[in-house]
Amino acid sequence: MSAASTVWQRNPVLAWREITGSAVIISPAESVMHELNGTGSVVWRMLDGQTTAEQIAARLCTEFDVSEETALQDTSSLLEELAALKLILPAQAAGGAKGATAP
Amino acid sequence: MSLAAPMPGGCAKGPTPLMDGVVSRTVRRHLPFGVHFDLTYRCNERCVHCYLDHEDYGELTTAEILAVLEQLAEAGTLLLTFSGGEIFLRPDLFEILEEARRRHFDVSLKTNALLVTPQKAARLRELGVRRVQISIYSDDPAVHDAVTKVPGSLERTLAAIPLLQAEGLHVKIACPLMTENLASFRGVLALAERLGVSYIFDPTITPMIDGNAEPLAHRVSGTELLPVLQEPKLRGCRPESVDASALPVSVGSASSSGIEGDAYDDLPCSAGQNTCYISPYGDVYPCVQLPVAAGNLRRERFADIWSGSAALERVRAVRQSQLPVCSACSIRKYCERCPGLALMEGGDLVGAYERACELAEVKARLDGVADAVSELHRRQRATQPPMPFAESAASAAAAR
Repeated sequence: MSAASTVWQRNPVLAWREITGSAVIISPAESVMHELNGTGSVVWRMLDGQTTAEQIAARLCTEFDVSEETALQDTSSLLEELAALKLILPAQAAGGAKGATAP
Repeated sequence: MSLAAPMPGGCAKGPTPLMDGVVSRTVRRHLPFGVHFDLTYRCNERCVHCYLDHEDYGELTTAEILAVLEQLAEAGTLLLTFSGGEIFLRPDLFEILEEARRRHFDVSLKTNALLVTPQKAARLRELGVRRVQISIYSDDPAVHDAVTKVPGSLERTLAAIPLLQAEGLHVKIACPLMTENLASFRGVLALAERLGVSYIFDPTITPMIDGNAEPLAHRVSGTELLPVLQEPKLRGCRPESVDASALPVSVGSASSSGIEGDAYDDLPCSAGQNTCYISPYGDVYPCVQLPVAAGNLRRERFADIWSGSAALERVRAVRQSQLPVCSACSIRKYCERCPGLALMEGGDLVGAYERACELAEVKARLDGVADAVSELHRRQRATQPPMPFAESAASAAAAR
């Protein structure tokens, strides 16, 4: 299962907020903070459990001066890293706790 | 184009460049990054040093609190601490926590843990609560229970800690130091190590929130604190930082947001800059120890208070380098001056006050500073007329 072909969503156990355009994320279990840059934060916003990597990359192409191929490559790479850190989960597996799900 | 990999770090190791960067941005932009929200002043303990009136004068309702959470999320708050009073006395606590987590806050709790059960501990973990700070005054039940005035309270509080740990929650012991429990600090330290939890010792005993000075009678003097300040396990530690769970050893003030760091530069602290306090009645203050009302959430929206309050603007304008007395102090690096205590104890937000000077002098002497005299004391001495020699000698003899 590749990052590009999977529909991902933000891990519901995380605390996060966009602060001056950057997603600041705290993992409560590890007490670790992460921060995404502006472009990564655009991707983060779109990780709603319904949007594919291809759709995310297509959106990036409209917002940034970048080729479709590069956008998809970079998006997939970021998603893999986020998944490795358990900051995102495959949408179907992201049940999470009641009250800790996305609004 | 670069999508830059996420940068792990920050929370787990105290103030890191990442955390400092985030904090700096929130300070520069005056974003309310951290909020301390007291849900109730009611309590099932009656601690001798407590600064709160435990009567309920009309706490925010569940609906009002949920509306406040929505406003805080919109305003950009990430770090949210629920405290009291005893938060588990609110029957709607879990409804509030559910909403807080649904809105992606990083949630920490402060409690005496008397009402924690295995079911409640499991629910806290399910919700993604990050940290639970528990007040413990001694490892000796007689001492602890004498402070709380609740027989059996230490035993019940200690029983809750493994329940929370079993669920993977980060537990931290907070031990306010006062005359009643000063001798217990090594026991609490050993207890925390045995339990594998982080801890903070805090000699800050404050007047009551209405200004009543009664709790100050329980305060220990700087000299009495020497054994604590000299304890090798505690020496060199700064006040609680970004993430308590990763900064297990500390002596400092529990008054602040817990997100102090280098990012504050010339500012006295985070109060009003990127943190604030909300009372159970919806009053917004810069900090629980700086009870200058900025507005009330029953009448105004949080964003309007945060951006439009003249009281907050006055607090934000204070700069360490411009403090009329303290900026000239030769031992200021040893000082943990608190603007709130300066106001409550000295009557002046930008003034010097006795307690801060006393502790700074003790710490400076410990560090080998020969002339460990605060600027306030220096000026007081300079304005006192010199005593005639005979009188001075008599005073010295009497002092011996």
